[in-house]
Amino acid sequence: MSRMNMGTLMTKEDHARHRRMQSLKDALRGYLFLLPWMIGIVMFVAYPLIYSFFISFHKVGVKIDGSGLKYDFVGMTNYKHAFVVDNVFPIEMFLFMREVILVVPITVIFALLISIMLNQKFKGRMLYRAVFFLPVIFASGQVLLELFNQGQGSLPLVERYNLTDVIYDVLPLTAAGTVVDLLSKFVIILWFSGVQIILFLAAFQTISKTIYEAAQIDGATPWESFWKITFPAISPFIILNLIYTLVEQSSNPFNPIIRHILENTTDANTGYGYASALGWIYFAFIMLPILALVFIARRQSKKTEATR
Amino acid sequence: MNDGQIPTSEKSKVGHSSLKRLDDWRIRLRTSEGMQKSRMLIFGRHFNDGWLFKLAIYIILSAAALLYLNPVVYMLTTSLKHGTDLVNPMIQWIPSKLEWSNYASAIIGLHYWKSLIQTGWISIAASLLQMGSCAIAGYGFARMRIPGKSVFFFIVLLTFLIPPQTLSIPLYVLYSKLGWLNTPLPLLVPGLFAQGLKGAIFIIIFRQFFATLPKELEESARMDGAGPLKTFWRIMLPLARPALLIVFLFSFVWHWNDYYEPALYLKNGDFTLLAQSMQFLQGNLNSAAATGSSMGGSYFSLNESITMAAAFLIIAPPLIVYMFAQRYFVEGIERTGIVE
Repeated sequence: MSRMNMGTLMTKEDHARHRRMQSLKDALRGYLFLLPWMIGIVMFVAYPLIYSFFISFHKVGVKIDGSGLKYDFVGMTNYKHAFVVDNVFPIEMFLFMREVILVVPITVIFALLISIMLNQKFKGRMLYRAVFFLPVIFASGQVLLELFNQGQGSLPLVERYNLTDVIYDVLPLTAAGTVVDLLSKFVIILWFSGVQIILFLAAFQTISKTIYEAAQIDGATPWESFWKITFPAISPFIILNLIYTLVEQSSNPFNPIIRHILENTTDANTGYGYASALGWIYFAFIMLPILALVFIARRQSKKTEATR
Repeated sequence: MNDGQIPTSEKSKVGHSSLKRLDDWRIRLRTSEGMQKSRMLIFGRHFNDGWLFKLAIYIILSAAALLYLNPVVYMLTTSLKHGTDLVNPMIQWIPSKLEWSNYASAIIGLHYWKSLIQTGWISIAASLLQMGSCAIAGYGFARMRIPGKSVFFFIVLLTFLIPPQTLSIPLYVLYSKLGWLNTPLPLLVPGLFAQGLKGAIFIIIFRQFFATLPKELEESARMDGAGPLKTFWRIMLPLARPALLIVFLFSFVWHWNDYYEPALYLKNGDFTLLAQSMQFLQGNLNSAAATGSSMGGSYFSLNESITMAAAFLIIAPPLIVYMFAQRYFVEGIERTGIVE
């Protein structure tokens, strides 16, 4: 009704102008809601990012009169320094990447297995859920480090059967070192799977029960229906969890690179500029696997769209 | 070990002859109706509803849960051990005598009550601010017609990926210019602007939640002449209670446990949060011992028990929160519909 009235009363131009005004109003209202976030982004993300990018090409020092910071342009020196002069950073970066390649899949596979079991119907599953989510509550830096220092991160089994010696006997030295290192904080690796378990559990709820029933009537075994129904449905969440784990790993208290970066901040020879350059290199190394995962996720979603 | 060896070899001989008889039985049984029924019970109709499967789940989950809880139990028992129990190889789990004085020392060493209050109010304030600002942003992303919205949301996703450490140096310089160092402001103000600790996740949670609410709500509110702010405040926000709760709980726990930022911005110690106070344990106990005795420069021997008592005291408040709000934590993400 109202539209008809408007059409008769307004000319086409009026109508267009009215619509433009309306969408402008909508946009303004929208920006009103995003305003705090935008201020935050500019102040606490964009500005620091640009600033740290800027100083990563400079040597930062204090002005002679002590009134503030001075910046001397040094080009790519800081970035070169990280790989050529610094004899700690490249090694730690390599070790970190190697560890991440192992830790991230372990965490996600563990989370998947546990969440599949927690998704079954049995008595007391809420209790088990509570247990597996517990570490999120206290996986705090220092408490975690203290437990780790007292050797509580490792599997009890490893100590009892002296597995470390066995591993060193069986595997070549470098591989054995990594495996022993992993085992020594295995429980803590598992502790970082709480959020992932919850995400998987939530993902399972999105698959409707009728699909499973239909598959069962067609004679599919649970094994088959897991691979044909569950797995394709949750594969985006596997990638999401991989990314989440990667991000979490890159900022956890065990990470020696972060310590190295912070040490360089206060180092008189290197300072803020060099530390910022290290931060950017670190960021790039973390973004590499993330971009790969995003790429896989995109291709996957395109494929499923094509089959539909 | 040796006593067991001979009987087992004998048993296997006996078992061999009886095994044949068992085989006959099995064939006869398989055809009977009763067997079919019990088979169904044990293995289940679809494999995953039988007893055997459930038993397997219980065993695996219990083993994993034990593995999970082992360090926590260790923390609790060790915190109650006396110094002599620590070095006694006979005592592994249960202390010979409960040593509550460890907790007394830990409370002194952590400046516990002062730190508890400071950590408490900062965590609560920061998470309330973050909850509010992220709800507003999430609502904007979910419900408002904004040009360039997808670009902005992409930026939100990107901020989640940026390690906070990349930003920490410039922020440190910024805060020192503003004179915010050694005040709680660096922990509070980013929260006010929908940033801060894992702020991107909370925006995403709110966006997903608000997107599930029916469109008619806003339309009818607009018919009644309510502006967007009023609609948000009076209608949408009360409906978002489950999402608000889950965000608040997560934010609170993460703020409580965070020690990277406090360690960076609150260096000089007159404002110490619990998560970072572990490292001052020795020093504080030394000075407490020094003031207690007439001789200066006293050294307090810190042992594992006291450290573990301190660790437990630090995690106790979030643990209590978790005990009460456990099901919101665990079910919350499902309820907020973040996955859809």
